[in-house]
Amino acid sequence: MSTSASGKHGTPAIEATGLVKRFKTGRTYIEVLKGMNFDATHGDLTMVMGPSGSGKSTLIAALSGLLKPDEGRVDILDVDDLWKKSSGRIDRFRLDHCGFIFQGFNLFPALTALQQVKIVLKYQGLSPAEQDRRARVALEEVGLGHRMNQRPAELSGGEKQRVAIARCLAKSPQLIFADEPTSALDGENGQVVIRLLRRAAVEHGAAVICVTHDPRLEAWADRVIKMEDGYILSDEKRVPDPNPAPLAH
Amino acid sequence: MFRSDTARAGFKGACSESMSLALSTLIYEWRRYMAAVVALAFSGLLVLAFAGMFMGMGKSFTATIDRSGADVMILAPGATQLFGGPSGVPRRLIPIIYQHPEVEVVDYIDLSGGRFESMDQAALRAPGATPPQGQRSESVMVTSIVTQPGNPTIPVDYSEALVEALRQPDAVVLDETALTRLGVQLGDEAIYNGHRVRVVGVTRGYANFMQPGMVMSRDTLRRYGEAYNGSRVGPLMVRLRDPARAEVVVAQLNAGANGQYRAWTRAELSAANEASMFEEGIIVVMLGFSVFLGGLIGIAITWQTLRGAILANIKEFASLRALGVGMGSLRRIIVELSFWVGIVGIGASFLLTWLISLLAGMFGLPMAFPLPMCLAVSALLLIIALLSGFLSLGMLQQSQPADLLR
Repeated sequence: MSTSASGKHGTPAIEATGLVKRFKTGRTYIEVLKGMNFDATHGDLTMVMGPSGSGKSTLIAALSGLLKPDEGRVDILDVDDLWKKSSGRIDRFRLDHCGFIFQGFNLFPALTALQQVKIVLKYQGLSPAEQDRRARVALEEVGLGHRMNQRPAELSGGEKQRVAIARCLAKSPQLIFADEPTSALDGENGQVVIRLLRRAAVEHGAAVICVTHDPRLEAWADRVIKMEDGYILSDEKRVPDPNPAPLAH
Repeated sequence: MFRSDTARAGFKGACSESMSLALSTLIYEWRRYMAAVVALAFSGLLVLAFAGMFMGMGKSFTATIDRSGADVMILAPGATQLFGGPSGVPRRLIPIIYQHPEVEVVDYIDLSGGRFESMDQAALRAPGATPPQGQRSESVMVTSIVTQPGNPTIPVDYSEALVEALRQPDAVVLDETALTRLGVQLGDEAIYNGHRVRVVGVTRGYANFMQPGMVMSRDTLRRYGEAYNGSRVGPLMVRLRDPARAEVVVAQLNAGANGQYRAWTRAELSAANEASMFEEGIIVVMLGFSVFLGGLIGIAITWQTLRGAILANIKEFASLRALGVGMGSLRRIIVELSFWVGIVGIGASFLLTWLISLLAGMFGLPMAFPLPMCLAVSALLLIIALLSGFLSLGMLQQSQPADLLR
């Protein structure tokens, strides 16, 4: 009933070393990542936490092939040094292996939930029948089986985020990057979303890297990395709470 | 539990299930694209209305050919149009053409022209009044018809009653579009080249923009001393026993022409006449200018509209890029979108033009839209839309997926 498993639990999915990223502001450069090392494993929900401006979003942009770091290398799945590849190859890599969930849902207003999910599968080169099948499975999995033909305007915020998650899960990605996935949602919907991300890690073996500054999500994580000013402050493995306290805003 | 809801949703979904992102977006967010569609529609209208008006002028100019009773017309060898240029032939050709066994009647076009003056009708009817002076003076072109039944100079849409009316001496027929210009009405008397004439009929669809046209019988023309008497006559009008054989007869006549004349079927001559209109420099300049202007306005507005529309969906495009959809695929979406905008624009353009031509028809202004012209305008609009699409591709560079992370 679910999308296929995509990685072996406990095996390394990402290894990044010495990541440096500077941004130019006026005449000076601000160093957002200051020689960071990072790793993540399949089957884990890795939480990256820290205050605004600590560089967490820049980190996942660099890890996922969206933003080229100035220094350092990223070895990801079976690709050595991702940033040595051409931008076309990096696009293809993301298409084949990466899922993204953003704070904004970024759904096309004109498309139904089913079409939102199918469009990405279409670019993966799947047959229309397979696109349809996978999209339906993914939407069922996020509990939107009965809302497949609704457009974003007819969906609530939580439902929209679930469509975005279905769009991400339908690809069966081995890597899922989530950037503040719950911050635009109320407590109840936030809980549904984090539960789905957790399921993607546990049941599908994906390496889920979730950036958040919401301390209540910590309870769901296998590992919590705290960042500040471009450095890692702490990195602790933990056993997720089987019955975490409900999220409330 | 969800049955009715899902059934309804299922129906809605089925309608758009197979539609592409570009087409779904255009339909769902049609308001956003309205400006582009309207701009294209008016660009198309500008060109179509101009061209249609010229074609309409051409059509009314050739109305005398299209609706003449002649199946075959015979012009001087080099002539490519009915009027203007040396299209007449020697009178001695008439018996030669009669030798063809399928020819029934041969006659010729006899044109004249002169000054037409309206008169104060009330003063005219007053008992014992001296004939009043002409009031308004215009020059007219006169076409004469031979009023014998079955003569090829009689237009096919002339009723028997109209021909009968023309048999009276001094009777003339005018087109409805000429009435105001000449200042007369049906039944009025007027002066033509110093002769008293009476308007006995009014025709429709023979508008002439250069000069009002007037029709009278050959006998009346002769009474005024304006009929051809020399050895050359105007183009010959030939009526065949079987009109369907016109092409065959034309081929046979031309085979025996020895360079003395050229025979045309009615359709052939009408097309040649229309084409010769576009050899008029001013028409080409005006048409070219309207194409240029229409194109410029169309591109500017469509381009800006598409830019705005892309910008409105820039985050969605960025999220597709994040998920690995390449720039090339996004560009194709935009080009497809501009293609559909073009298609809708073409439809809107034809709708507008149709409405305008209805309006023009109410005022007796003929417009004509031959298929090749419509196809050319459609192609123009599609090119405008696609060019606008290409111009707005640069906007996609702003879809930086890294910007979605914050």
